[in-house]
Formats: sequence, structure tokens, C-alpha cells
Amino acid sequence: MANKDTYTSYQTEEYYIKEEPFYLPVADEVELFEVAYSQQMPILLKGPTGTGKTRFVEYMCYRLGKPLTKITKKSQPTSTTSIPLMTIACHEDLTASDLVGRYLLQGDETKWMDGPLARAVKVGAICYLDEVVEARKDTTVLIHPLTDHRRYLPIDKRGEVIEAHKDFLMVISYNPGYQSALKDLKHSTRQRFMALELNSPPPDIEAKIIEHESGVSPEISLSLARLGEKTRNLKDHGLNEGVGTRLLVYAGKLIKNGIAPRRACQVAVSWALTDDFQVQRSIDEVTHSIFE
Amino acid sequence: MKYSEDFKKFPKELSDSYNTVQSVASRVLTEEEFLAWEESGLNIANRGARAWESAVEYFRATPDILNKLPFVHLKQWAYWGSLIAEESHFASIAYFKASRHVSDQIKPWDVADWAQLGKKLLGKDSRSGKLSVSYFENSAEILKVLTFSEFKQIILLVETISEHNTDEAAKFIDCASEVLPVLKEDTRPCLSLISNLVRNHWQQSTKCLSMMSSVLARIDTVERSRFLSLSARISEEQNTDVVSFLHESSLALGSVDNYVHVNILNMADRLSRTNPNIVLNYLKGVPKALRRISINQLELWYDLGMSILKDNETAGIAFFSGESSRSEDMLEKLSVGVELSKVKDIMRLYCRALSAIDIDISPEEQGDDAHGKSWVPMDQMLAEGANIYLPFVSEQFDTKDENFDWFKVMATHQIAHLEFKSFQFSFDTPSTQYQDIRDELAPSMSDLISEVEMADFALENEQQGTQQDFGMTEIQRFFAIFKDRPLARDIFTAAEDYRLDHRVMVDYPGIASSYKRVQLQSISNRLPLSELPSQEALVEILIRFSLQQTGTLQIPQKYIQLTSAMWKIIRPLSTKGSIVEDSAEATIRLYEIISNMSNQKPNEEDEEQDFEMDPSDGEGDNEDSEDESTSNSLDSETEEGSDNIQQYQSPQQVDYRGEFKPELMQAISMIKDYQKEHESTEDGISKEKIEQILSEADSPPSEAEKIDPDAKGTFVSEMAQDLDSKGNPQAVLQQSSYAYDSTYDDEDRRGPLEANDPDSFLYDEWDYRISDYRNRWCLLREKEMAEGDSAYFTTTLDGYSSLAGQIRRQFELMSPQGLQKMKRQQDGDELELEAVIEAMVDKKSGSTPSEKVYLRRNKVQRDVAVVFLLDMSASTAEAIDETRRLADEWDAPDDPLEYMFWLRSRRGEGMRRSYKRIVDLEKESIVLLIHALETIGDTYGIYGFSGYGRENVDFFVIKDVQEALSERVKRRIDKISPLQATRMGPAIRHATSKLAGIDARTKFLVLISDGRPQDRGYSREGVEKEYAIHDTRIALTEARRDGVTPFCLTVDKEGHDYLRAMCQDMGYEVLADINNLPRRLPTLYRHLTV
Repeated sequence: MANKDTYTSYQTEEYYIKEEPFYLPVADEVELFEVAYSQQMPILLKGPTGTGKTRFVEYMCYRLGKPLTKITKKSQPTSTTSIPLMTIACHEDLTASDLVGRYLLQGDETKWMDGPLARAVKVGAICYLDEVVEARKDTTVLIHPLTDHRRYLPIDKRGEVIEAHKDFLMVISYNPGYQSALKDLKHSTRQRFMALELNSPPPDIEAKIIEHESGVSPEISLSLARLGEKTRNLKDHGLNEGVGTRLLVYAGKLIKNGIAPRRACQVAVSWALTDDFQVQRSIDEVTHSIFE
Repeated sequence: MKYSEDFKKFPKELSDSYNTVQSVASRVLTEEEFLAWEESGLNIANRGARAWESAVEYFRATPDILNKLPFVHLKQWAYWGSLIAEESHFASIAYFKASRHVSDQIKPWDVADWAQLGKKLLGKDSRSGKLSVSYFENSAEILKVLTFSEFKQIILLVETISEHNTDEAAKFIDCASEVLPVLKEDTRPCLSLISNLVRNHWQQSTKCLSMMSSVLARIDTVERSRFLSLSARISEEQNTDVVSFLHESSLALGSVDNYVHVNILNMADRLSRTNPNIVLNYLKGVPKALRRISINQLELWYDLGMSILKDNETAGIAFFSGESSRSEDMLEKLSVGVELSKVKDIMRLYCRALSAIDIDISPEEQGDDAHGKSWVPMDQMLAEGANIYLPFVSEQFDTKDENFDWFKVMATHQIAHLEFKSFQFSFDTPSTQYQDIRDELAPSMSDLISEVEMADFALENEQQGTQQDFGMTEIQRFFAIFKDRPLARDIFTAAEDYRLDHRVMVDYPGIASSYKRVQLQSISNRLPLSELPSQEALVEILIRFSLQQTGTLQIPQKYIQLTSAMWKIIRPLSTKGSIVEDSAEATIRLYEIISNMSNQKPNEEDEEQDFEMDPSDGEGDNEDSEDESTSNSLDSETEEGSDNIQQYQSPQQVDYRGEFKPELMQAISMIKDYQKEHESTEDGISKEKIEQILSEADSPPSEAEKIDPDAKGTFVSEMAQDLDSKGNPQAVLQQSSYAYDSTYDDEDRRGPLEANDPDSFLYDEWDYRISDYRNRWCLLREKEMAEGDSAYFTTTLDGYSSLAGQIRRQFELMSPQGLQKMKRQQDGDELELEAVIEAMVDKKSGSTPSEKVYLRRNKVQRDVAVVFLLDMSASTAEAIDETRRLADEWDAPDDPLEYMFWLRSRRGEGMRRSYKRIVDLEKESIVLLIHALETIGDTYGIYGFSGYGRENVDFFVIKDVQEALSERVKRRIDKISPLQATRMGPAIRHATSKLAGIDARTKFLVLISDGRPQDRGYSREGVEKEYAIHDTRIALTEARRDGVTPFCLTVDKEGHDYLRAMCQDMGYEVLADINNLPRRLPTLYRHLTV
């Protein structure tokens, strides 16, 4: 391809995590994931935004693929030895055919094009449906047979059923906090998954994450982590959602690159979190207490 | 002697009095004169039936008068006396009696004038005698301070008054004689004010005069005359209540410093030339403004007000009364002080963030009323999280930021108690910095408590039976090991503060600089060490440690050794991991040092010496050094005599620290735990018990004080009241009518309101005459509607069964038809066969095929949120067929009393109904609408509103927006009933705020009312409905600005007139026939939201 130098593109089923993502386990979630994977047990990740759900899936994907990499003794894993990660961000217009596939008009004929889910099922990828409650209800028709003992994907339009590859695993995530009751996950769906709850890490762990991700000093990381902790105390008291680690990392990056801490926290934390002036002011005051 | 026989005709008293004085008279007077004198006496006695009594007084007064008046004048004196006696012998008695003193004070030739004046007062009517009497009786007193010509002026005033009312005139004279002598140099300006008054408002003159001395006492001496001339100018206005002007303005001036009176009066003076009517408003507003800004800044505020006043009089009035937003904004801009109410929400969130506990911030009580501080909040604490106290205003510093920081420092310190677990002291938790000696000490120390005390303690427990139930708190256990508990408590507080302040500095480096500034400032406010008795000085040194942390302290020489010992003890508390138990251990050690010392009076000669607070000190083994110092202190102190030993007194509180009550907090959490455990069994602790435990924990037993039973009583009854009134419209009604009784008069003048409980909301109100909002003008209370019978819901539906079905079907048609096919899309789920064929044909025939060959299913979603606002005003109690007639009778009486009566009578009408009222149709329509709405799944809320006056807007929740339709909602609908007046503005604003919290693409506010907005004070003087309509319109505009589409539906036949103004470009509809409402409302809704 002509553009190869300027960007890298992958076929979705060939996207592997090549570098080990940085992930600090808070509890036994890594172990649980591993067991679940080995037992082909679908996983539901719950937790507020910015607590590392996506990062966790990436990390697990890398980790689970790693033993095979070791055997080949090559830094570049091959498609047969590692697990591809297929991330699908769900939105309210995401339909079943977006996942399964559709006919396209090509030249003089129509051609079937597999959707991401169908591809993942075929190659045995970890398919991660992010914010699954956002998707249209008809997608559940696909999720259900894939996540129970049947483990197949029906493709009505072609009159096919695809059996899932043995490595295939469905992981879905949702944030119980902000969706309205209407968008809650149906029980028939949620009872097909093992659920892992990811919450904000304790300050010391969070400080390490911030330190690693942003490169600021341990002191500032700890201060940021404490700011995070304090801010989360405001959840349901003006904030719908506490600050996620991601924002704290942003703040850390800003500080690292020469922005004054108070200002960095203002733009990356208080303004990012809310539009409510009072709440912004309160968070700023906390920031001003913590940072000079 | 010539007439002595004549005298015999009269009672003996006359001759007697004549005889006693005749020798004196004969000595002074020539014979001719003597005869004349005698003749006058007889003349007087002959002037009427009881005129002889006057003659008696004439003779008795003679010796005095003889000395003072030449005979010419004496004759005149007698002559006038006889004239007076002819009219009223009482008056003449008073005349003769008074003349003895008066003649001292006036020139002899004025006596006749004086008498003549008195006579003039006589005569007009039967009661004028009394007036004249009081004239004569009081003359002497008044003349002491006035010249005769001034006196004459006064009497002219009296005459004027007497033309209206003789009694009043007499009272005026009495009053003048009492007040004028006290006024001294202010008498003249005062008189000119009074004469003004008599001319313009004679009724008020006596009252004004009588209050003059108390009024003037409140005003700076040099400014009094100016104040009086200002008042005089005010009094020239029509309809001025000078009495209340004097009273209230002097109170206002009295509440600010005397030295600013000159500036304030200067401004008032200028103001009075432009608009005398608002001077009082201005003066009343000044003390409040001066709490926030300096007198110089007040001038700026005043100038702005003047310029507004020139453009728009009403706006200016509102400005000076502190009711307009511009006035408030200006004050805010000018002031450097920070008011707690302005930053309370921020501070609350700040505290919540730091501590993860719901914190309630209460303004500190003024003064040091310990009960006030601890009682009400204690109950709050039981109910909620914790409470911290901040002062009303922070203004010690020069800038707003610094003042705000002061609040922050206070809050941070108080929160530090929670954050760093001061209240979670546990007796058995080991400390981290010290060797634990608590356990060993516990028995030995308790020996120190005398047997008697122990017995008392046990007895108390038995009687109360409380301690046994709950045991002691951990901290009480700890304090029990000390003999002198107040001392131990103070030491513990200082040690804990030392630990916390250190911790705050480390954990919150950002606040450290402000923190230090506040600490330094607190130090500057403290008593010098050299003035304190020994024990107190040592405790004070501990406090200084906690305030200063590092650097040098000035310590009287005799304490140097002990200070360094204490420093070594307290120092480890600054280690980062130190915990509250460490403070406790430090307390034991410090207590040993301090309690071994007698509390001696300060010794003046002590020299001060520097003590270096070396942070490296005391890191070693502190046990040894401490022992040493303890023995030292014992040695040095025993030899002193005992006469100059004082009782130990707790040190003054550190400004920013608030009160630290670990025992209380632990007691509270103990009770809470207990309550939680016993919640299910319902056998909670009685209120009395709680109070008892808390009071024990709050005040140490040694100084146990009785809690004012009244205070408790009030609280309980308030609680009960609270419970009663919740959501019960009738109770509310009663409540508000009570409120009205006590406060109805002068309601417009009371200015902005305060919201004190969480269900109260304050809203500004638009005053079109000043083109500005009136600040915090309406107090709206949100209440849940009381519940009635849910059968009403079903009955109504049954009654309208065919209509209900019809409406429901119509609504079902509106509901989203699932997925809608969208043809010829660029992208989609499947290929659309027709489009594909066309594209193929195009392609084959050589033209460019369309790319839009897909079929897409789009979800059609209704995303509507709607709030229905029901008018529950009394007028909805009208029977339907009466509606037409009533259009003319809409106007409520202006007089509040009449108004209440009017309301009640209207409600009464409703009670005996057998016919349908407007409100019934409103209810039925709502039932039908709910029934239909449930099918389409729109988010909807139903609220009712009513109220009386701006401080009583009631907002009833029938169905909250987020609430699902439940039996409770149905029951509430039953209770919708006509209540009071209609103040639409705040209700609309509140409903809008309800919608603001909802995430929906389309938002509606449907206002269903029966008449135009109308409430007491909502249609202001002279402008009638304009005011209410303008405010309502602005409220609707605000709603639209917030993305809510308002719609007004009214059943008022006259509606067109005002709705047009109210809704201009907004949706509105007037129902010609109220009976159509149930049918019309759902239809309307359908059309609106499609």
C-alpha cells in the first residue's frame, strides 16, 4: 500500500496486542479472567469510566496469548499463536447486521461481507463489546447463542450458523452508573456472563499507574491520586461520576510538560468532570489545598 | 383688714391662708397696695362656686411672688388669676401654684403673657381645663430649658394640636416637660422637627416627642441635629410615618459605629432631597451593607443607587432597599468580606470531598452560648453526618481571596478531625510513637478520684440508668484516668490540634501558606504568656506549639525548662503516621508535667527568653527526659505559697479551630449504632435518654449544666410540627395562615428571604417596574402531596370509560412504531432490491449508478419529558357554571384580613359541594392524561402549586418526574384540592428546574390554570395585575431559555386579555367550555408533542 509509511492498518482479526500493556491488578481479577477464559466463560466488566476496563481486556489478551509467543521465541507473535482482540464500541445505532455482516454491491454482483463479530467467531478472537447497553436490542439475538453452551453465531441472511472457534471469548462492558433505567442490561443477557467489577484503584496503586502513564514524580502522582480519591467523594453530590484514572493521567501528563499543577487539574479534572460552577469551584479548592 | 369679714363667708381655709400671709404682705406692701391685694383675693374668690379654693392658692403663693415681682406685675398676676378662675378653678389653682416657680424663670413683665397663654388654652371645650392645668403644671420644667419666646412657640404648637384634640395637646405638654430637659443642646433642632410635625402630622407629634430622647441616644452626639433636620425634611412628606422613621432609622444607625454616622447622614441628606420616601429604606439597609463593605465603599454603592434612581424611581427604591439584583451585585463587587451563605455550597462540597461524609455547615452562633451551639446541631448530627461551624462572615483580611481562604482553613481543620480520625479514639489501640502507659495508669489514676466522687458517679448512673445501657465511650474511658479533667481535655485538644495541623500541612501543601497566615493571625489574638497563671501558661505554650510548629517562641524564663520538656513530648506527634492514640499518650505525659504545677498568678518581673523549636529535638527516647523534667517541676514549684494560686481556666479558643468535642462525637456515634441495631425492634432510645447521654458527654460532670428545658421543648414541638405539616394541605393552610397573622403587615418591605431547609427553594422575582430581579424574593416549599384514596383514580376512569379508551387509542397511534424503514440509503442493513436493479440498469446503460441502494431500519424514538403544573388556588373551588360570573370577581381583597376571610369563604363553598368544581375537572383530566401517557412512555411529572404571599409558595409533588406511576401517585391525585392564591412565577421556575435534571430531546411545561396569577403582594399597589403577569412571562421566558417549551392552558373566559401578554409568542389556549378540559387536554398534548 502506498500509505504504508504514514499509518498502519490491520485486518480486524489480525490486530494483536504486541507490547505488554501496563496494568496493575487491584485484586484477583487477572486470575479470574484466566480461569474464565480457559472455561470459555463470557465475562461482563462493570465499572465507572476511566477505571481501566479496556486496558484490562488488552492486558489479558496479551497475557493469554503470551505463552504461545514464548514457545516461538519471537518478539513478533504470529497469527496462529496469539489471540486477536476485536473491540467493538457499541452505539445506539449499532444493529445486528453491523455485527454479523451484510451484502455489498460489488461490480455486477452482491458479495457477502462478514461483520466484526463473525470474523472474531471464526478466528477465535476475544471480542470486546464496549458499553454494550448502548447497542440496539436486536444485537442480543446474536449475543445469546454465542454466550451459552451453544457457542454459535447464526447468520440468517445466509442461512448459516458459524460455530465459535475454541479460543473465542466474548467480553462485554457496561457502566452501571450513568445509563438510565431504560438502558439497563436485560436479565437474560446479564445472566450469561461472569461479572467482574472494576472500581477506582486505591490511592497507592492509582499513584503508581499515574506515575507510569504520565511520568510525573511519585509525589505528584500520589497527590493526584489523592485528588482523585477526594473528588470521588463528591459522587452523587454534584458529580454523576467520580474522576477516572485516565483524567488523572492526563493531569499528570500536563504537569509533566510544564503546566502548573493547579491549572492542569483544573482543565483535566474539574472542568472535564462537570459544568456546574459550584462543583468546579469545590474541586478547584481541593486542588488548591493539595497542590501549591 | 378691710375685707376680712367678707372672707368669713367662705370656708375657713380661705381666712386661714389669708391670715398666714397677710402679715408678710403688709410688711412689704404699702397700704394702698395691700388693699388692692386683698381685693384681688376676694375678687378671685367670688369668681365661681369653688373659686375660693383658687383664692386660697393665691394667698399661699403671695409671699413667694412678692419677692419676685414688683407690685405692678403682681396685680396683673392676680388679675389674670381671677380671669382664669372664672373659667376653671382647677386651672387657676394650677396657675397660682405654678407661678411660684415660673416667676423665677421669666421676666416679670412676661408673667402676664404666660398667664394669657394659659387662658387661651382654656375655654374651647369641657376638657380644656385639663389641658390648661397641665400647661401650668409643666411650664416651670419646660422653661428651665427654653427661653420664653421658644416657650411661646411650643404653646402655639399645643394650641394647634388642641384644635384637633385637646387630650392629645395635654399629653403633648406632659411629654414636653419630660423630654425637653433631657435633650439639652438638641432641643432647638428637635423643636423645629416637632413644629413641622404638628403642621403636617399632628397625630404623631406627641409620640415622636416622647421617644426623642431614646432615639437621639443611639446617634452620635454631633450628628444629632443633622439627624433631626433630616427627619424634619422627611416629615414634610405626605403619608410619612415619622414615628417609625425615627424609631427604625435610629435603631439602624445605633447598630453601626458612631464615627460613620456623619457619612451615612450625609448620604441620607442628599437622598432626602431627591426622594425622601426611600431614606428609611436606605438607612435600614446600611447596617447590613456595612457588614460587608467599608464606609468608603458604601459611597460608591450609594452613587450607583443615585444614578439608578434618577432614571427610574421604582428601580432606585428597590436598589436602596437592597431588593434588586444590581444592588446585591454591587455590594458583592465591593466587599472584601466573604459571607458564609455565599460560599456555603462550595464549602460543603469541599468538606464532602475531603472527608467522604455529608457535612452540614452551620453558621456559628454569635456570642459564646454553649447551649445554642451544641443543642440543635446535636440532633442534626444524629440524623445526618457531621456538622461544622463557620462564622457568618469572614472579613479580617484585606482581600476576598484571603477571607475565603480563612473559611477554607477553618473547614480544613475541622474536617481534619474526621479525615485523620480524631473521633475514632480507641482505648486499646496501641500508639505508634510512644510506649503505651494508658493501661497501667488506668487503675492508679482512678484511685485519685475521691471515694465520694466515685459514689456520686455510681449513684447517678443508677438513677439514670443510661451509662449502664451504653457503657462509656472509649474517650470517656481515657479521660477517666485524669483527676483534673478539664485540664486533661485542654491538653488533649492542644496535642491533637498539633498533630492535625501538622498533618494538614504535610498532606495539603497547597493550603499551607494560607494556613500559616491564619495561624499567625490567631497567635496575634492571644493573650501574652506572661499574663497567664502557670498551668494556663503551659497549656498556652502547647497551643503555641500547635500554632507555630517551628521557629522561636518567647517564653518567660521560669517556663523554659518545662517548655523544652513539653516540646520533646509533643514533637513525635508531627511524624506522619501518628494517630489519635499518640496524642492521648502525649497527653498523659504532658498532664503529668502541668498538673504537678500549681496554678500561680502571673509574675510581672519574669523576663522572656527565646525558645527555639528545633524540629530535630525529641526524636530520641523521650521517656527519660520526660521523667527528669517532671521531677524538676515538682522541686521548683513546691516552695511557693498558696495564696496566689488560682482555679484553672481553660484557654481561649483558637479562632479558626472551632470546638473539638471528641466525647460528644463518640457518644453520638454510639447512640447511632445502638439505634441501628434496634431499628427493627422499634424500641429505640427515648429522646430524654439521648439528650442525657449527650449532655453528659458534652459537658464534663464537674461543670454539668442543666440544659434549658424550653430549648428542648421548642425543638420537639418543631419536629412534631414538621411531621404534621408534611404534605397535608390543610395543615399547611393553617400554618401559613398563622404565619400570615404575625407577619402580614409591611410584607413588601422585608426584603430578601432565606431558605433554611432542604425542601425550600428561593427564587428571584421579576419586577418590571425596576427592570430587574428582586433577589431571593420567593420562598417555595416543596412538599409531597398527602395521600387520599386511590379509588378516585379508577372511579374516574370508569366514569369516562369510553373517552379514556378513545384517548388511549389515539395515544397508542403516537407511540413509536418500532423500526421505520428508510429506503435508498448510502449505508444500511441490507440491499434494497428495487434500488439495486435500478443501479444495475443504470450501470449497464452506461450512466453512473446511484450509490444509495441500501435499506436502513431506523428506530423512531419519542424522547419527551413533560411537566404538568396545576393551579390549586382557591378560585378553582368555583362551581363550573359559576365560572362566567366569577370573571369579574377575580380580584382578591387587598386587605390581608379580608383576604384570608375571602379565601376561607371560598374554600367553605367547596366543602359543601354537590357540583363539580374547576379543580375536579383538572383532576379528571389529569387522570385521563396519565392513563394515556403511560402507553407512550413519555417522562412526565405532575405538580400542584398554591400559596399565600411570597414567603409561602407551596409546591406539591403529585408525581415527580422520575417517579413511576404507583398507587401512591394515584392516591395523591385524590387529594388535589383548592387552597390559596396563585403565584405562578416561582412555581414555573421550580418546575423548570425539575425538567432541567431530565435528559430529553423535547421538554414541555404545561400550565393548567383557571385564572390569572394573583396573590397577596403579587399585584402591587397601583399596577394590579401587571406585576404578576410580567413576572409570569419572565418565568416562562426563562423556561424557554432552558430548553423547555411552555404551554398555558386556561379555563378563564377572560383569559385572552392577560394570556396574550403572558405568552406573546408562546403556546396558549383558552378553553371556552371548562367541561371540555378532560377531552381537550390529552388531545392538546398529542398535538403538542408529535
